[in-house]
Amino acid sequence: MSGLYDITLEINRYDPDTRLSWVQTYQVEAGGILRFVDVLRKINDEQDSTLAWASSCEHAQCGSCGIIVNGKPLLACELLVRDAVEQFDTHTFRLRPLTIAPVLRDLVVDLEKAYERIHEAKPWLIKPAPLPQEGDEYRISQEKLDTYIEATQCINCFCCATACISSHHHFIGPNATMANIVRLMDPRETAKEERMDILYREDGVYRCHTSRACSFVCPKDIDVSHFLALGKEGKF
Amino acid sequence: MGEKLSIDSTLKCDVLVIGAGGAGLRAAAQIGEQRPGTKIIALTKVVSPQKSHTTTAQGGMAAVDPKDPEDRPIFHMFDTWKGSDCSADQNVIKKVCNMGWEQVVWLETHGMHFSRTEEGRIAKRPFGGHMLNFGEKKSFRACYEATRTGKGIMDTVWDECLKYGVDFIGQCIATELLFEGDRCIGAIIFRYPEGKFLAILAKATIVATGGKTRMYQVSTNCRGNTGDGLVLALNAGLPVMDLEAVQFHPTGIIGPGILASEALRGEGAILRNKDEEPFMERYAPSAKDLAPRDLISRSIITEIRGGRGIFNEAHNAHHVWLDLRHLPKEVHEKKIQEIESFFRRFAGVDPEKDLCPVTPTAHYQMGGILTNEFGEVQSDTQTIFPGLFACGEAAAASLHGLNRLGTNSLLELITMGKVTGQRVVEYLKDAKSPEKISSDAGNIVFNQFSTYLNAQGKEQFSQVRDTLRNLMMEKVGIFRSEKPLTEAIETLKELKEKAMQIQIGLTSLQTNQDLWQIWELNNLITVSMVIAQGALARKESRGAHFREDYPERRNEFNYHTLVSMPEFDKITFGKRPIDISMFDAKGERYELFDYIERKY
Repeated sequence: MSGLYDITLEINRYDPDTRLSWVQTYQVEAGGILRFVDVLRKINDEQDSTLAWASSCEHAQCGSCGIIVNGKPLLACELLVRDAVEQFDTHTFRLRPLTIAPVLRDLVVDLEKAYERIHEAKPWLIKPAPLPQEGDEYRISQEKLDTYIEATQCINCFCCATACISSHHHFIGPNATMANIVRLMDPRETAKEERMDILYREDGVYRCHTSRACSFVCPKDIDVSHFLALGKEGKF
Repeated sequence: MGEKLSIDSTLKCDVLVIGAGGAGLRAAAQIGEQRPGTKIIALTKVVSPQKSHTTTAQGGMAAVDPKDPEDRPIFHMFDTWKGSDCSADQNVIKKVCNMGWEQVVWLETHGMHFSRTEEGRIAKRPFGGHMLNFGEKKSFRACYEATRTGKGIMDTVWDECLKYGVDFIGQCIATELLFEGDRCIGAIIFRYPEGKFLAILAKATIVATGGKTRMYQVSTNCRGNTGDGLVLALNAGLPVMDLEAVQFHPTGIIGPGILASEALRGEGAILRNKDEEPFMERYAPSAKDLAPRDLISRSIITEIRGGRGIFNEAHNAHHVWLDLRHLPKEVHEKKIQEIESFFRRFAGVDPEKDLCPVTPTAHYQMGGILTNEFGEVQSDTQTIFPGLFACGEAAAASLHGLNRLGTNSLLELITMGKVTGQRVVEYLKDAKSPEKISSDAGNIVFNQFSTYLNAQGKEQFSQVRDTLRNLMMEKVGIFRSEKPLTEAIETLKELKEKAMQIQIGLTSLQTNQDLWQIWELNNLITVSMVIAQGALARKESRGAHFREDYPERRNEFNYHTLVSMPEFDKITFGKRPIDISMFDAKGERYELFDYIERKY
C-alpha cells in the first residue's frame, strides 16, 4: 500500500470579519495517495472546521481549487501527498491563495472577479461564417483543428495568471488572451478586426514578457506561451 | 448569533434561471436569441458557469445525422425506450430524438469544437445500447469533442449567454421558491461571499440545478451536486418523480470516484478480485467484462460483500481491481492514454505495471422535478404551476425513465433546455411583473440558518456526512430489499435529527463554509429519504432500480413514482402514467414500443 506520511501544512488564514491575517500550522497524518483536497477536508473533519478552501469537480476538469503550494500555483485536486513530498523534497508545505483576485477567506479567492477578464476577451463566436448549407456542418479539417484544439482545453483555473511575471493590473492575462486567440484561429469566426483590437489593446498580448511561466504551470499541459507567441506574430 | 436574518435587497428580472449548467444556459440562450432584450438572471453555486458539473461529461451527445444512410431517429427512439426498461415517456423520446441533429448544428454554429472526420465533418463514435435497425448492430451516433464533450457544450452555452448579456450571480444558493397563489414569482437566494439574502422577483423561473448523487460514498458528481433544486420543490409542496432510479457506473476510481470509461474493458481490461480471479466469468459467462453496467456493478458489490474485495486504508473503502497490464503497448500509448492518466494522477498507480483500484460509483439520477414535454413543472394531478419550469438532470420529463443510455444525458439537456426556453418566451407574452413578495418570504431559510448557527449538540459534521454516505451506498445503493431499506429510513430520521444539532465552527455569515455545507447536508438527507421511500415502494426491479426480494419487472408498476414531502418524512405517494403514445399511434413497428423484454 501507499503508506502514511506525517506532513506539516502552513496555511494562510484571513478572516473577513476582523480583517486579520495569520499563518496557521497543521500537522496531518495522511495516506500517500490522498490528494491535497482530501488533506484539507481531513483538517476540516478532524482539526478545524473553519479552514475555508474551494473545489468542485475534484478531478482537474473545472479549475476551482487552484492554490499556491511552496510557491507553485497548482490544482489541489491533482496533487497527491506522496508526489508532493517527492516533487518539493520536503514534508512541510506552505499553502497560499491565488494572487489574481481578492481573498474572501483563507484559501478562497473571488474568482468571479478574475473571470471578468475572460468575459472581456469575448470567448464566443462574435460573427460566425454562414454554413455551407442550412442544417449541414462546417468543413473543418482535423489538421486545422489540431492547430488550436489544445488551447480549448483551458479551464480558467488562473494558475497561469498567478505565475505570470507581468502584473495582472496591467495585463489581461495569459488565459484571457488565449481565449481570444482561439477564436482568431477558428475558421468560423469572421469578426477578426474586433478581435485584433482586443488582442493589441493597452493591456493586451504585448504586456507578456515571454517568461513562459504559464506553460510551465498549466495543469492541463497547454503550451500557453506558444499561443501567445502566435498572437504577437499575428499568425492565425 | 446576534443579528436577525433578513432580506438585504430585491432584484427584478423577466427570467430567473436557478442553476447555470448546460440545461439552464441552453434555455437562457434560447430566450436571448428568440426574445432579445429579455432581462435574465442566472444563478450558479460555483464561481462561473464554466465550473458546472456539465463540464465533466466525457463520451458524447447522441444525434442521428440525416446524412447517415443507415441510421434513423426511430432506431434511436427504440433504443431509448428499451434502455429505460419501458419506463420513459414516448412523447418526450420522440421529441428529443427528432431534435438531436438540429441541436448538434446549433452547437457547431455557436462555437463548439467537435472532433472531425477525414472529410472535415463532425465525427461520431458508437456507444452502449445505441443500435441500428431496432437492436441489430451498433450505430455511430455519438457526436463528441475528444473526451471532453461536456466541456465543449458548457463553454458554448455559457459563451452564448455572455453574448446575450445574461446577468450571472455566482457563489449563491436559491433557498426558497416564491409563489403568488399557484404562480411562481422568483426565489430567495443567499450569497456566499457577503452572506446576504436577496429576493429575486421574476416573471418566469427555471429550475436547472443538475445532478444530485453526493449522498453516496463514491460518486462521479461534483462537490456541490446536493439535490438543492429538488429540495426547493419539495419544500414548496411540489412532488418529485422517480428519485429511486440512480445509475451506478461499475468502474469509478477508488476514493474520488472518477469515471474510468468502459472503453478500457472494450480494449480488453479485466476485473479481478483480491485473489486476482477474473470474477465476471462467473456472473456473465459469455459477455464477461462487457456485460451491461448494472449487472457488472452488482457483481462487484457481490464480490466485496463476499469478502473478496480489497480494503484501501487511505480512502477507508473496499474495491476490486481492473487489470490493464496485459494490454499491448500501443493500446496503452494511443487508445486509452487519457483515461489511464486519471489512474496515474488520482490513484498513484501505473496501469502498465500495477492493478488499478475501482468501485461502482453513483453517476446519474434519472428522476427529478416532474415536467411535461415543454419543461413546465407539474403537480401530482398533472396541472401546471404558471411561471415555473425545470430542465436538465434536475428535471424528469421523462426521457430516461428508470435507466438512461450513455450520451442521452447531454442530448437531453440541450434539447429540453431549448424547448423550455421556447415555452418561457411564449409565457412571457402575457405574463405580468410580480409586484411584491409575501411578508413571510424567507422564513424557511431564516429558521434553518438560525438552527444551524445556534446548534449546541455534540454531533460532528463529518460523522453525520460519512454515516449518510455509507448508509446510502450499502442499503439504498446497487442492491436493495425491504429490510435494509426500512432500516435506512429509520437511520435517515436519526441523521436528520443529528444534522440539526451539529455545532458550527464559525457563526459569521461571510464565506462560511461550515454553514453552506450543513445546509447541503440537510438537502442530501432530504433527497436520500425520498430515494429510500421510493425504492421501498417500488416492489420490482426495473432499469437501475434492483430489488433482491423482487428481482423481476412487474406490469403493475408500469408508472412513474411521485413523492411529495413538504415536511421531512411526511410522505405522500402519487403516480403518473407512462406515456406510450408511439405504441398507441400504431405507426411503424409500433409493437416494439409496447412493454417489451429488455435483453441485450
